[in-house]
Amino acid sequence: MSDATSQSAPPSRGGRPAAAWAPLLATLLVWVGAGAARAELSGAPPVDAEAVGLDTAIGRVEYRAGRGLHLGDTRLTIGGFTTAEAERLEGGESAGGIEGANFFLFFDPLPYVHLFSELETGQLVGAAGDQRGARSHLRLGVDRAYGDFGASDALGLRFGKFLTPIGRWNPVPAEPFVWTASEPLIVENVFDDTVTGAMLFGRAFAPRGALSYSLYGTFLDPFDFDPGEPPAEHSAGGYVEWASLDGWALGASYFASEARGGPWHHLGGVDGLWRPSARIELSGEAVFGEGTRENGALWGLYAQAVVETIDTLYAIGRYEHFAPPGDGRAIDLYDVGLTWIPVYYLRLKVDYRIADHRDELSAPGLRSSLSLLF
Amino acid sequence: MAARIPGLVLLLARFAIAKQVLPTRPAARTPGLVLLLALSLLAPATGGERDGVAVIVHPDRRVELSVDDVAQIYLRRKRFWSDGSPVVPLNLPAADPLRERFSRLVLRQNERRLAEYWNRQYFYGVLPPATLASTEGVRRYVAADPNAIGYLPAAEVDGSVRALLRLD
Repeated sequence: MSDATSQSAPPSRGGRPAAAWAPLLATLLVWVGAGAARAELSGAPPVDAEAVGLDTAIGRVEYRAGRGLHLGDTRLTIGGFTTAEAERLEGGESAGGIEGANFFLFFDPLPYVHLFSELETGQLVGAAGDQRGARSHLRLGVDRAYGDFGASDALGLRFGKFLTPIGRWNPVPAEPFVWTASEPLIVENVFDDTVTGAMLFGRAFAPRGALSYSLYGTFLDPFDFDPGEPPAEHSAGGYVEWASLDGWALGASYFASEARGGPWHHLGGVDGLWRPSARIELSGEAVFGEGTRENGALWGLYAQAVVETIDTLYAIGRYEHFAPPGDGRAIDLYDVGLTWIPVYYLRLKVDYRIADHRDELSAPGLRSSLSLLF
Repeated sequence: MAARIPGLVLLLARFAIAKQVLPTRPAARTPGLVLLLALSLLAPATGGERDGVAVIVHPDRRVELSVDDVAQIYLRRKRFWSDGSPVVPLNLPAADPLRERFSRLVLRQNERRLAEYWNRQYFYGVLPPATLASTEGVRRYVAADPNAIGYLPAAEVDGSVRALLRLD
């Protein structure tokens, strides 16, 4: 998982003090947020508004808010997001920080080739209640890097490092795209976030919807992974989804993985989404089988409801159940929260997690984040 | 031009009521409303909200599409024509009433839902369809590019493009 989505990543002990410029950065982020809010009050920019444009020797260079910087005729676009987070957990632990930017770089040299990468820069500044001063933990990481090739909707090839297409949350897990600052356990703890290899994917269309599929496997040595959570040495899987134009979707996943020298583990999953009206979204997913890293059967699910209460303000409720492998005790979690989206490229989230017991898997408490697409 | 005259009469009738040229007291308003209703019924389906929306392609693009196909194209899920050429969908500016109407008729989602959708696509480097400033720009682009698809008020379709669908 991207560090940008981590809620409680401790500041690096080796990082350099950042207290001197932390207030400046915090002020900058708040100023950008306030500016966006003012834009909403005075008439929000349309979704594809051109914010800035300049005719140059390489063609028209355009920046669109939340849609990136398009570099003229080069077919190269640079965009991304940044996030500020704060949490106060039951028991008194507290932490907060501003992530560095996650950059999207995409390049479409031909209609049949789409090259994409997501680079992260680590944590710009962070502080924890039990540590003195703020710390910076900057690093350049490659969250994703792949190429898509194909001249047909029915069949394409992806090659490189990409997010594991299991369920509904993991394929788009970053802060600006999800409804809560906390992440479901079945997404966080069960399978590898990414696959380094290849994937065949495609889509077939039918009245009122489309059936999409993906078949993938690890064929390359993984790179830039968390040493504490090494990915499976071999893995393969598939995902199929029916997405209706009427606002609902159903998916099913299968994932097999083999840790170094270990047995193969098999995991299955189902997921769904339903938007009964423009203001309500219901979603959920379940997994069952064996996860990547630990032996033994597990299962878990989450069900989430999102309701737009007044314009741009959303109320979120989520129930989770997770039964870890081995002798671990099953845990029930309840998240309630609010998300405010004053403009489409800015998202402020606050949610509180309640647990039926304290567990190292997920501490109950308050989590919040402010994320900005650029 | 002749087709627009009843619409103009309707506008004048509304103006007359607003300026109290026609009676406005409750008891006396009824004849004015009847007149207004009659004029409304006379107005043909042209101009503004009552005009149809035509989905257009290049004249050489011999293809039939359903409304669902057009929706999949404008959501950029359907990326290629059946001959393997890339589809180039064209939009009008977000605030354009014709685009709002097109989105309502074809995509059946409001702007906030669509923004959410495009945010998630942006995470994969997929951007919304290109935007042109005017219907004239859309018509000329589609007339010049066999891979393009756009939409116009049905009354603005001419021989330089082919109308695939008419949405009312």
